[in-house]
Amino acid sequence: MKGFLEYVPGDSVLHRMNPVAKLVCALFISVACFCTSSFMLLALILIIDFALAASCKMTRQAAQLAKAVAIFSVVLAVIALLTTPVGTELVQLPWGYIGTGSIAAAALVLMRLVACAVPLFLVMYITKLNDLANSMVKILHVPYKYAFTFTSAVHFIPVFMNDMAGIMEAQTARGVEFDGGFAKKVRLMVPLCVPLLVSSVRKTNSAAIAAEVRGFNVRTRQSGFKAYPFSARDVVALLACVCILALAIATNYVPIP
Amino acid sequence: MIEFRDVSASYDGELAVLDRVSFTIPNGDFVAFVGTNGAGKSTTMRLINGLLKPTAGDVLIDGVSTANLRTSELAAKVGFLFQNPDRQICCNTVREELMFGFKAQGRECADAEGRVDAMIERFGFDPDAEPFLLNRGTRQLLALASIIVLETPVIVLDEPTTGLDFRECSKVMEIIAGLNVRGTTVIMVCHDMEVTADYAKRVIAMTEGHVVDDGPTFEVLRNPNTLQRAHLLPSQIVDISMRLGDVAPAIASSSIARANSLDQMSTAIYEFISSHAGTGASPALGSDEGLGA
Repeated sequence: MKGFLEYVPGDSVLHRMNPVAKLVCALFISVACFCTSSFMLLALILIIDFALAASCKMTRQAAQLAKAVAIFSVVLAVIALLTTPVGTELVQLPWGYIGTGSIAAAALVLMRLVACAVPLFLVMYITKLNDLANSMVKILHVPYKYAFTFTSAVHFIPVFMNDMAGIMEAQTARGVEFDGGFAKKVRLMVPLCVPLLVSSVRKTNSAAIAAEVRGFNVRTRQSGFKAYPFSARDVVALLACVCILALAIATNYVPIP
Repeated sequence: MIEFRDVSASYDGELAVLDRVSFTIPNGDFVAFVGTNGAGKSTTMRLINGLLKPTAGDVLIDGVSTANLRTSELAAKVGFLFQNPDRQICCNTVREELMFGFKAQGRECADAEGRVDAMIERFGFDPDAEPFLLNRGTRQLLALASIIVLETPVIVLDEPTTGLDFRECSKVMEIIAGLNVRGTTVIMVCHDMEVTADYAKRVIAMTEGHVVDDGPTFEVLRNPNTLQRAHLLPSQIVDISMRLGDVAPAIASSSIARANSLDQMSTAIYEFISSHAGTGASPALGSDEGLGA
């Protein structure tokens, strides 16, 4: 099984799309999620998200991701619930009330974050990080330094997750019991951030030195050999995403439930 | 005593890395697991201290299945030294690091303090030093000390000499050998055939999740069939005896072939070379083809 945000090889249409087109499409969809308050449109975007995931056999990963984002979004949803006194009053609070509109606001936060996160993470799963960085440099003229920083940061996520798992395993072998409640687990994990931090600093330092000695600073936009041409499917995908974005903006003027 | 009964194991249920492995390690033994990467050695170690549960079969520690014990309970019986000390070290001072195991297992007492003090003195640590600022060898020694101080009856070492220079390696192995002399069962994964040959009493050779040979170190390490099946290179002394056997068939019936230990073999080789040096009795020994010099 592949790790978190690690590229999963495949030959689907999405896999074959231009990396920049994939990224821009994902951004359009994500922006669209924040431009609309329509539950119907957000539900439609969620359906599109999962249809796209299914087309590249990533349904399981998309579902796991949606679940993880939903769990983290609960905090924001609760804040929205407690700080959006809208609609018919249901519960009185010292600073306001929870109304029907508050529940809708909380649900909106959850749906919005899940709907916008799935396509962005999907791009990571179906695009090689090198291709993403190189195409950003070639097509978008992003300085290689920044593209490399971005891809390195993403690349290190599974590495650090693996490190943390190894550190927890080492402490378990010494008698630390991580099984138990969430609070206990967090309390036990806090001191383990020290070895993780040390290992992270060592790794990033080594990576920086390795990049430096291999001529990182002499690289220019022309250095990459691989070309990233746009094809018809990229244009169609971009147009479709522009339509979704336009629809999301339009829902602010033409109310849709 | 540690017993593996037809143990199979896999990660995430996808890849079988161990297939019906059986062996018994009596108390006080010093066993080295050898084999190429992916042979299943580290998986076997993880099964011993319960970090991994078998998908089939049973792992018994003193007659109790590890399936019935939590890893934290097993920690009191089995000490585990990881290849990378930085995954193990997590405290701000050497002293805290040595006390960590007692705290984790709820065994803090005056006796623990005394054992930590003794360990600091024995290893020559600065008790207030920051562990992450120590050099690699000292960090490995600290990780080892933090396991030894708990005085578990079994110690599992996953490639304990990786990244250490010869002096550090010797120091670590002498300490481990000393523990074994005092009755601790030592189980070690090691890629260094010299270290294995010098310290282990018994070798279990593995390949592709199976045990291909299990026996006294000397017997396993000089068995060409085992070496081939486990993709191992022989230790230097065994290698020399094999090369001598190739170029001088008389070796087959000499004291070298009849040696029962690596020490005996070294002595026999030394005597053989001394007796033939300058006599011209075996010209092939002096050629490039002969000893690969």
